[in-house]
Amino acid sequence: MPVEAVRDETIGVPDGEQARQTMTTTTTRTPLLAMRQICKRFNAVEALVDVDFEVYAHEVVALVGDNGAGKSTLAKVISGVLQPDSGLIEMEGETVAIPSPSAAHDLGVATVFQDLALCDNLDVTANLFLGREMTGRALLADAQMEDAAKKILRDLSSRIPSVRTQLRDLSAGQRQSVAIARTLIGSPRIVVLDEPTASLSVAQTAEVLTHIQGLRDLGLGVVLISHNMNDVRAVSDRIEVLRHGRNNGSFDASSASYEAILAAITGATHQGYRSVPRFA
Amino acid sequence: MNAIPALKDVFTRGQRQSDPDTPRAPEQGGEPRVVGAVDALRDVFTRNLRQSGIYIAFVAIIGLFAWLTDGLLLSPDNVTNVFLQYGYILILAIGMVIVIIAGHIDLSVGSVVALTGAVSATFVIKQGHPSWLGVLVALGVGLLVGAWQGFWVAFVGIPAFIVTLAGMLLFRGMTLRVLHNISLSPFPTDYHNIAGGFINGVLGGNGYDVFTLVVAAVGIAGYAYSQLRNRRGRIRYQQSVEAFPLFVLRLVLVAVVVMALAWQLAHSRGLPVVLIILGILIMTYSVITTKTVFGRHVYAIGGNLSAAQLSGVKVKKVNFWIFVNMGFLAAVAGVVFSSRSNGSQPAAGQMFELDAIAACFIGGASTTGGVGRVTGAMVGGLIMGVMSNGMQLMGIDQSVQQMIKGLVLLLAVAFDIYNKRRAGAAR
Ligand SMILES: Nc1ncnc2c1ncn2[C@@H]1O[C@H](COP(=O)(O)OP(=O)(O)O)[C@@H](O)[C@H]1O
Ligand SMILES: [Mg+2]
Repeated sequence: MPVEAVRDETIGVPDGEQARQTMTTTTTRTPLLAMRQICKRFNAVEALVDVDFEVYAHEVVALVGDNGAGKSTLAKVISGVLQPDSGLIEMEGETVAIPSPSAAHDLGVATVFQDLALCDNLDVTANLFLGREMTGRALLADAQMEDAAKKILRDLSSRIPSVRTQLRDLSAGQRQSVAIARTLIGSPRIVVLDEPTASLSVAQTAEVLTHIQGLRDLGLGVVLISHNMNDVRAVSDRIEVLRHGRNNGSFDASSASYEAILAAITGATHQGYRSVPRFA
Repeated sequence: MNAIPALKDVFTRGQRQSDPDTPRAPEQGGEPRVVGAVDALRDVFTRNLRQSGIYIAFVAIIGLFAWLTDGLLLSPDNVTNVFLQYGYILILAIGMVIVIIAGHIDLSVGSVVALTGAVSATFVIKQGHPSWLGVLVALGVGLLVGAWQGFWVAFVGIPAFIVTLAGMLLFRGMTLRVLHNISLSPFPTDYHNIAGGFINGVLGGNGYDVFTLVVAAVGIAGYAYSQLRNRRGRIRYQQSVEAFPLFVLRLVLVAVVVMALAWQLAHSRGLPVVLIILGILIMTYSVITTKTVFGRHVYAIGGNLSAAQLSGVKVKKVNFWIFVNMGFLAAVAGVVFSSRSNGSQPAAGQMFELDAIAACFIGGASTTGGVGRVTGAMVGGLIMGVMSNGMQLMGIDQSVQQMIKGLVLLLAVAFDIYNKRRAGAAR
């Protein structure tokens, strides 16, 4: 059964026009990424229990939930940092294994981790290309990398003064845009951002959200993890709620009410979500 | 909404238009074009001092000891001696600075110098094999030692401090075993010439070796060219550079020091072979650290280990090769040292690790990893060398020498940390 049917049922107030539109854009395609019945436990802690999650191209999916809901754990499974105990991961319909961060990169998954994975002692270019440096005649192709870095930063209309600036000299917002720009190296299909706006000022947050829209406009599937509802509603197309490591609702961002999402996050409502088989 | 970035943008654009060769005001310093004398002076004492501080300190120390020893320090024979005496420390410091940049330490290099020298001496002196075979076997032992320590650090995950502390004991013990507790000497002439030899008279010269001078001139020209290119690149990317007169002053200073040194060497016995080995190693490892993927990853691991891991850097592999490389360079130092001392002693190389580590930190390496340069470590090593040599010439007691060297190390690191704090506060 298509996902939208679930949505309509859970939200209860389907916006006819919107629903039709999403129908035609998503149901006709296989998802870029489909995670099915993912389980992950850390000793006694059940971080993820039978979680289903899908990402389509040209879409920003927000993953929301309270602290400890399992959002970062899911992001780490997608990016190959953690291995699920059970469950299936499919990319464009094919079952895949993501045993390491570089395997994820090879599959076209790029991630901005919650604790920024950047090196303060390297410059912007070196950070963008870390782990996937361009070389020519056994040496680093610095000029080539700098040109590519400038182009990517321009595409993101980012305000980095120079691609040779050391990361330690950048503001928090600028560092975040470097982290986001990093995801564009090697033309990924899916970008996962874990709490990209935490610790940013209002202006910097607006900039990051613009970047995220830019990623979608480039045709990527974007997973935005956040517990700031304003950010989520500003840029996302779909909102998936996790609670205690389980799916607890799926919402259309443009039509769902703030209260309904909040209720799903806090557990005031159990959407009857699990009773509907999501995948035919 | 975007007030802060917009302001920043205005500011950076202002900077872009300003003449890149005029000194810029410190970051928050209002109008970037007009730089007051006070600002310029402060600029010299903050950024420029941090960039060139170590070179200035080096020249100052040379000047001080030249004065204290009535010029004896800079006499042709003594200049030659400094290189012969400290060449192997500099070789060790090249490997050590890479280890330190990656956030490790190696306490075993002194013992490895002794072990490789002992193995080589056993082969050449005791068993009568040709010198080149002794050298090859020593280098092989160095690589094995490096692979051993690299294995424990990289793949088992034991801190390098512990692994190399164990190595310090282990390889010292092996040295005693290999030598049966007695010294071996002397080496045949060709072995002795590795570190004790000179290249003299290749291009002739009347009492001074032209070849030495030519090599120095070529070296200076190459250095000036690469510095100029570097500076052009930085300007093109709107990065801070030192004021042009200061830049020229620095080049001239380096040129004068190198040329004076070459002049003295040319007057003495010519170009020491050690210096040639050292020159090749410095150039090779400068390229490895700044221009290769391996070097980039070494800095990344030292700067942020988990970021490097998440970015797909093969951390274990890089760590392993860092120690293999250190083992190799310790073996080179072992060959040079045994050649210079014309034999092998059970107690050889004691405290070398500390001199090499001190050279790196005086040369600007960070105690927390991620920061350091091969050239910095070389200057740091030479500062230690010139100080030791100068104090020896003055007949200062060994105990006082040690105390002074200890204090210099402490002050150098304190100065570095002080600068970093201030830079952090200014941001
Ligand atoms: N490496 C780990 N070891 C043990 N427990 C962990 C680990 N990572 C996460 N957890 C636990 O798993 C749960 C989900 O964490 P996380 O995915 O980080 O939540 P979120 O990102 O939604 O705040 C939490 O209870 C957390 O304590
Ligand atoms: Mg989290």
